Amino acid sequence: MIKVLDPGLYSTIQDNGRYGYRNIGVPYSGFMDKESATIANKILGNELNECLLEITLIGPTLLFNDNYTLSVTGGDFNPTINNKKIELYKPIDVKLGDILKINQTSNGARCYLAFSGGIASEKYLGSKSSLKNITPSYFLKKGDEIKVLKNNKLNFVVDQKLKLTTSSFLNVFSGPEFSILRKDSIHNLFNKEFTIGINNRMAYNLTEQIQTKTKSIISSPVLPGTVQLTPSGNIIILHRDCQTTGGYSRILQLNEKSMDNLSQLKNGDKIKFKLIK
Amino acid sequence: MKYFIYNENSILITFDSNINSELVYEISSLRIKIEHDFNEYLIDAVQSINSLLIIFKRNKISANNLLNKIKNLNPENTAQKLKSKIWEIPVCYDLTYATDLEEFSKSKKISKNEVVQLHKSKIYDVISMGFLPGFMYLGTTDYRLHCERKLKPSLEVKRGSIGIALNQTCIYPQDSPGGWHIIGVSPLEFFNLKSKSPCFVNPGDKVKFLEISKSKFEILKKNKSLKPNFS
Repeated sequence: MIKVLDPGLYSTIQDNGRYGYRNIGVPYSGFMDKESATIANKILGNELNECLLEITLIGPTLLFNDNYTLSVTGGDFNPTINNKKIELYKPIDVKLGDILKINQTSNGARCYLAFSGGIASEKYLGSKSSLKNITPSYFLKKGDEIKVLKNNKLNFVVDQKLKLTTSSFLNVFSGPEFSILRKDSIHNLFNKEFTIGINNRMAYNLTEQIQTKTKSIISSPVLPGTVQLTPSGNIIILHRDCQTTGGYSRILQLNEKSMDNLSQLKNGDKIKFKLIK
Repeated sequence: MKYFIYNENSILITFDSNINSELVYEISSLRIKIEHDFNEYLIDAVQSINSLLIIFKRNKISANNLLNKIKNLNPENTAQKLKSKIWEIPVCYDLTYATDLEEFSKSKKISKNEVVQLHKSKIYDVISMGFLPGFMYLGTTDYRLHCERKLKPSLEVKRGSIGIALNQTCIYPQDSPGGWHIIGVSPLEFFNLKSKSPCFVNPGDKVKFLEISKSKFEILKKNKSLKPNFS
């Protein structure tokens, strides 16, 4: 068992997500940065979609009541065990009584903490991913106890030295309502820099506005990665926990890799859209 | 019909028509046909008022291949097979639970009784689900019930509440904030997480509201295994 001494800013249990229920309004959820999360599992010999902890900006402090093997990937949150710095992208053995501290990020917005064997947690609609209205608790709290399934004892040291790299370019397809954009708006959209504003697992707001007074659309399906334009000219990029339908124009759609990239950017970071030809 | 490749693993099909019962029927027929014929490629098929989003396994098929297969489906074949279920949903319109009925009736200048009569006299199509898991958009309501959403959303709408807004009516499957005018409540459980099919109703089905008294509501509310009838 692992005791949560401090939950950090926003730590959630995630696997690859909840599929097959979108037509009845159930969001996908799942790892925000799929690539980093699956590598965390791979290093430990877990199934790639095994559930783990997704940690946002400021990490938790955990006390181990048993021996475990873990890995930390994604953003660099300067993690320590008993105040000694540990390496990322490596299997790490911990003992009963050890304290893991995942600190503040110095690169990226999210890191992934996986345990050999995976976290024992109940599945709801085929997934363990935390989500309000679906899972009874949806973020880590002080005093929580995390149970880990059996240690695989199968570790794979990843050959190359891995490190999270992010880009300010988001690769996009044009969306179903792209044609509502004026020529000058399209020019701005692909030439101006945008700043990330308020964001969470559902959506990223951008600070700068483009074309205003576009009409809302009849409520239509949306996906993680859908870029919406509101009638007041605001741009919203939907992410993994987004609702299944929406009433704003869908002007662009991020590709899968750019979704991972975006999930590692923070409030104030700059982005540019690049159209996939 | 318009086809649009939405991303690496989804295709959007949009129908050029206004909201109506035949359109809901046409979209759900196509969805059911795709779910049946292309099950091996399919992740999800999301139905909305005038479109259908197909999300598929891109390691199994390319977007263009699937698109061709969808275009070659014979829709006439589909239509004959599908018979929509009509679910009977008990609703208590008592003011204890119908928290906005009084004000709504005043603002529309029709009596409370008339609002209830108009609401329960139609069979509604389940146009789509969204907003919350299991939240049903039902349409369309009688023109005399058409209205904007509430200016100030309620912070807590109770589970089972029946709302009206725009040309639609809805059912809240969970406690939630919400902006629809609440005119009744149903004792049924609309979203059951423990079940493999958590909603008994699906988009494309139909819903009919049956009025029940406050005392009947309170009895039925205690019966956890209450199952609705359908025809």
